[in-house]
Amino acid sequence: MNNPLHFKPSLEDLLKSSIRSIFKNKSRTFLTSLGVIIGVTSVILLVSIGNGLKAYVVSQFESLGSNILFVAPGQVFNRNGGFNNNGGASFLATSFTVSDWNRLKRDLKTTAGYIIPVSQSPTTIKYLKNSVDTNILGTSADYAVARNQTPAAGNGRWFTSQENDKASNVAVIGHQLKLDLFGAAPALNRKLIVGGRTMKVIGVLNKIGGGFGGPNFDSFIYIPLITSQRLTGREAIQSFQIKINSTTDLEAGKKMIETSLSKRFKDEDSFSVFDQSQIIGSINSILNILTAGLSGIAAISLLVGGIGIMNIMLVTVTERTREIGLRKAIGAYPRAILLQFLFEAIILSGIGGIIGIILGSLGTLAISPFFPARVSLNSIILAFGVSFIVGVVFGVAPARRASKLSPIEALRYE
Amino acid sequence: MTKLSSVNQSKLPAILELRHITKTYGNNGNEFYALKDVNLKINQQDFVSITGPSGSGKSTLMHLVGLLDNPTSGEILLEGADISSLKEHELAQLRNQTLGFVFQQFNLLPKTSALENVILPLLYSDVPKTEWTNLAVTMLTKVGLADKLKNTPGQLSGGQQQRVAIARALVNNPKIILADEPTGNLDSKSGIEIMDIFRYLHDKEKRTIVFVTHDQDLARQAKKIIVIKDGQIQ
Repeated sequence: MNNPLHFKPSLEDLLKSSIRSIFKNKSRTFLTSLGVIIGVTSVILLVSIGNGLKAYVVSQFESLGSNILFVAPGQVFNRNGGFNNNGGASFLATSFTVSDWNRLKRDLKTTAGYIIPVSQSPTTIKYLKNSVDTNILGTSADYAVARNQTPAAGNGRWFTSQENDKASNVAVIGHQLKLDLFGAAPALNRKLIVGGRTMKVIGVLNKIGGGFGGPNFDSFIYIPLITSQRLTGREAIQSFQIKINSTTDLEAGKKMIETSLSKRFKDEDSFSVFDQSQIIGSINSILNILTAGLSGIAAISLLVGGIGIMNIMLVTVTERTREIGLRKAIGAYPRAILLQFLFEAIILSGIGGIIGIILGSLGTLAISPFFPARVSLNSIILAFGVSFIVGVVFGVAPARRASKLSPIEALRYE
Repeated sequence: MTKLSSVNQSKLPAILELRHITKTYGNNGNEFYALKDVNLKINQQDFVSITGPSGSGKSTLMHLVGLLDNPTSGEILLEGADISSLKEHELAQLRNQTLGFVFQQFNLLPKTSALENVILPLLYSDVPKTEWTNLAVTMLTKVGLADKLKNTPGQLSGGQQQRVAIARALVNNPKIILADEPTGNLDSKSGIEIMDIFRYLHDKEKRTIVFVTHDQDLARQAKKIIVIKDGQIQ
């Protein structure tokens, strides 16, 4: 007798025979794989969207430069690095004033490149018969330079610090706001009615884009901070963006800002100074949880797909009872039968996995012009690995049943 | 090879021997004897028919001769060696090397060409892959189907399908060809053709053939007839 460990047929022949029997029933193969196809497609799409959003957030903040510090009222972050649940409440409790701004400018004279105040409030803008509900963003002359948002040649200019000091009634409008109010007509030097005041348009911005779930800066009206305070009657600055000179350490800059603001705010919890890495970290941790949660839900359809494969494989084993009996009678040993049916299950889920990866990637490409989505190699490997495992897990039971059939019973089966 | 004091007058040595074989079904106290103390020898170049009424135990006997089942008691010797202690995969290998099966239902793989059906036993054998197609074509030519290599069972008549099955049984060059009601599903003309092939294989190729049938006329075509009744050889 030959070595019983010597395995016949070879894995290659087994695989070929599994592939052949699967493709004898193409429509069933497709329908069986459909569950896995849908599961893998949704996992890939959701992970791509999650990755895209993270990359988008990171790029948005990195475009500001890494040496920017943000100052906001209240405790923005909790001790774990996530966003503070009470952030909203404390955000309303305190706000900064022009004197805080001036004090910061004085205290950080040699440390800060610029200190930009931001004050945002809702408003209604009218031009002739057109009326648009949007947001005022009151800020300084530095804002345009810091954000790289200076109006292009022929589109006017940003306001100056003198105009800010004098609370001039001048306004720079976003790309979308210009279209909404003026359409194709020229906007420069036209007069708008903003909250009862007449303001002259001195600049139109290029399209900024972005703003997924965040503010739509293209619809904003940008006016000098002092003008906005006169307009709203509130002397409130919601936040500062401070550029620290490259010669100064970021942490040292933070300390100086905290010292400066502590002169007015006795409670150190009433404001926060943070850099972009903290924001990116917190947003990423939220997006990670969101992506994992959504992928988990999508993975349920993978599970359902796996059960579908098991169901069909059990039917197949019953249907092919005679074939199994014959193979055993002519010399197939249990392991050869087990592997043949296991391979069929793995191929079914593998086909589902590959089609799912293709569909998921195409879907990602299709939505990428409208949404920051990005296919990652990880998600492809993960999806393929999971569909492979689904094939093994849900293929074992039917394959074992096949391998255990007695050749006599199998041949007698009608 | 073990020499046996034989009641059989054949000069050629036994390939397969059943000694005091009993096969029962059911549990203690309620046993049904399918076979009772059966002794049987298949010698080289035998052409044996096993016949008997339905329920006589001839199928059970066939399964034991085909190494598809284990006896409740007794010994089965293949070329003198007891096989009762062999494991399932070892039995599978023995079946592959020594036996060729022909079934009443043909049992060809559907939607699969005659050629691939004949190659099937080679898949589980030690025959090098390079020889598979040649061997299968030779066997199909022998049964007169050289022009039907690519046909699937659905495109073949019953008689042709059974001939593919015979080619499949021959492809491993087995020591015994076992046929279970080989003409049971065929019209009489095809049945005669199949029996002609068996007779040719025995007469010209000196092959050992055992077939089971309930048909007395068919059974008489063999050189040796074993009649079984109520689990015992008559």
